[in-house]
Order: sequence, then structure tokens, then C-alpha cells
Amino acid sequence: MEKANVIPMDDLEQLKSSYTATEEVILKRRSIRLYKKKQVPEFMINRILEAGRFAPSAGNCQPWKFIVIRDPKVIKGLTDTTIKICKIFKALIDYRFPGKRWRLPIAKFNIKMKPKDLHPVPFGAVTLIADGKLGLYHDAPTVILIFKDVRGVSNPDLDCGIAGQNMVLAAHSMGLGTCWVGFVKLAFQYVLKWKRFFGISYPYKFATSIAVGWPVGDPDGLVTRATHAVDWYENGSKKTVF
Amino acid sequence: MGNLSFKEKHRIPIYDDPTQINNGLVEVDTGKCTGCGFCVKACPADALVIENKLSKMPENHINECMGCGDCVAICPEDAIVVTKGYEYTGFYKTIDRGKFEWPRL
Repeated sequence: MEKANVIPMDDLEQLKSSYTATEEVILKRRSIRLYKKKQVPEFMINRILEAGRFAPSAGNCQPWKFIVIRDPKVIKGLTDTTIKICKIFKALIDYRFPGKRWRLPIAKFNIKMKPKDLHPVPFGAVTLIADGKLGLYHDAPTVILIFKDVRGVSNPDLDCGIAGQNMVLAAHSMGLGTCWVGFVKLAFQYVLKWKRFFGISYPYKFATSIAVGWPVGDPDGLVTRATHAVDWYENGSKKTVF
Repeated sequence: MGNLSFKEKHRIPIYDDPTQINNGLVEVDTGKCTGCGFCVKACPADALVIENKLSKMPENHINECMGCGDCVAICPEDAIVVTKGYEYTGFYKTIDRGKFEWPRL
């Protein structure tokens, strides 16, 4: 296993003096799941949206629509609908507990039908949300929903992701906390209520959403992450570094 | 690192066997931990609990740690370290990954 030619974290001072402000924002951004009740000022949200507006997109078609929700009632309504659907999901595929083994064939079939949605990681989250142990938006005061224009060039989902990451990094650089929340997709996928409420119809489709708020404590620490194999093609040969 | 075999590609296990999932693991320094509870609230997988004013990951916890490090980042006393990342076998096998590393530049 060959190591990448990088300065390791051991030399903290050297690292801190060598990284740029943007790199610092990227390295210290964490998903925040604990927010203060204080509302985020409007001008900050506007600045975050501007960061999203200037994101690159395929063919410069900018296939996104942002919806800002600062009404706790609406956020709670979305959460409640998602919890209800998660409960149904849990009932359909919960085979892990003793006494429920008869559900195994049904669970197997459902997992085969939707291998990404029923991946073991989100399945854990579905169970937690259904049991009310994991809040969907973690009481964030502001939520930004991102919708994709399905007529966008190439891959509108990816463009929405790029715009979203721009917004998340901009928010973090202002000291705000953010968290990507994709589970609300269920509330737009299986129920008409919220589509009607927000007036969403063709060509808009739900892509993802971001919770924004003031974090409690100081969650912006550095963490360890797994290294990934990177293949290098250089000088007529190939090497794999980690 | 491993690639997927023919059998793994075509069969999705149901992950009811604990050996099919290797959960993440965090270690709490009991000398430094003050039991403030930030890590418990920050954990997306509900894998940590406060016991006797100390943060702890209970064994046989059905909710799995993903090794995301949110608890490490939020801890005001730097008392937590991620010792193991999560890994799956079979269809969702974790491939082409190396060791856990701090940011390197």
C-alpha cells in the first residue's frame, strides 16, 4: 500500500499555515444535528442563496429551484409526513427482530426492488426516524429545499448537488451549521399534500434539502476519514496511492 | 483491496447476521469525558448514551455507528476517537478504502 505524497497531520502548525481559507472551511465543515432556537438573519440566507446561484452547471442551464422555509409549522408538517411514511417503510422491511422472520421474503423482495433506498445505512435511519429517535431537521430554524428542473442538460441532480455544496460551504464560512437532509424526498414522492402546498409540478422534482441554523457548542473540529485508492497514470506507468 | 465476486454482485444479503456488518467504533477517554452529552445529541445513528455521567457506546446496540466523526468534532474535551469505520460484506462491500487518516495537505 503506497501512501500519497502529502504532509501528515502530525505537524499541526505546518498544516495550519499551509491551508487556505477555503480548505479550512471544507475540512472543518461537519453535519450539525444540534441547533439553537435563534433564527438566522435574512441577509445571511440571501448570501447563502447567492452562493448557490453562482454554482457551475451543465450547459449553464441552472436547473434548480430553491424554497426557503422559516415557518416552524411547515417544517413540523414536513417532518410529520416523513415520519408517517418511514413507519410504513419500517413495517414493510423490518425483519431484524426475533418473531418477525416471516417478513423475510417480503423484505428481500422490497430490498431487491429498491437497493439504494433500502441500503442498510438508510434502513437504520428509517428505523430511528420512525421511532422518533432521530429528528429529521433537528429543530433547525431555516430549511432550504432544492428542486431540480428535470429538463436540465445531462444530470440535473448533480447540478443541484454542486449548488447545494456551494451553499453549505458559504454557510459554514459565516459560522452557521448545516445538514443535508434527503429523507424529505419521501414526503414529495408518496404524498400529494406537500407538492400541492408548495405548488410543485412538472418540470420540478425534489432533489435534496439543507437545514441551516446556529450550531450549539463548537462542532467544527477536524475528524479522521478513510483514505480512498487513487490510481495515477504518469510517465507511462500506473501506481495506486492511498 | 477487494473487488466484488460474481456471487456478491448478484446476491443482496439481508444483513440480519451481525457478521455481515462491521459497525464503526468510537473510544471514549473516561478520564477526559465530563458527560456534557453533546456527542449523544450530535450522533446521527443514536449509538452513544450517557451512563454514570460518562459517554458510552453500548454493546449489541442495534443502531450502527457509521464512523462519521461528528462526536469527535463536537467534543469540547477531545475525549473521543474513531477507532474503526463501518464496513459491509457482500453486495454493499466497502471497496478500495485505506486506513483512517487525519486531513493531509
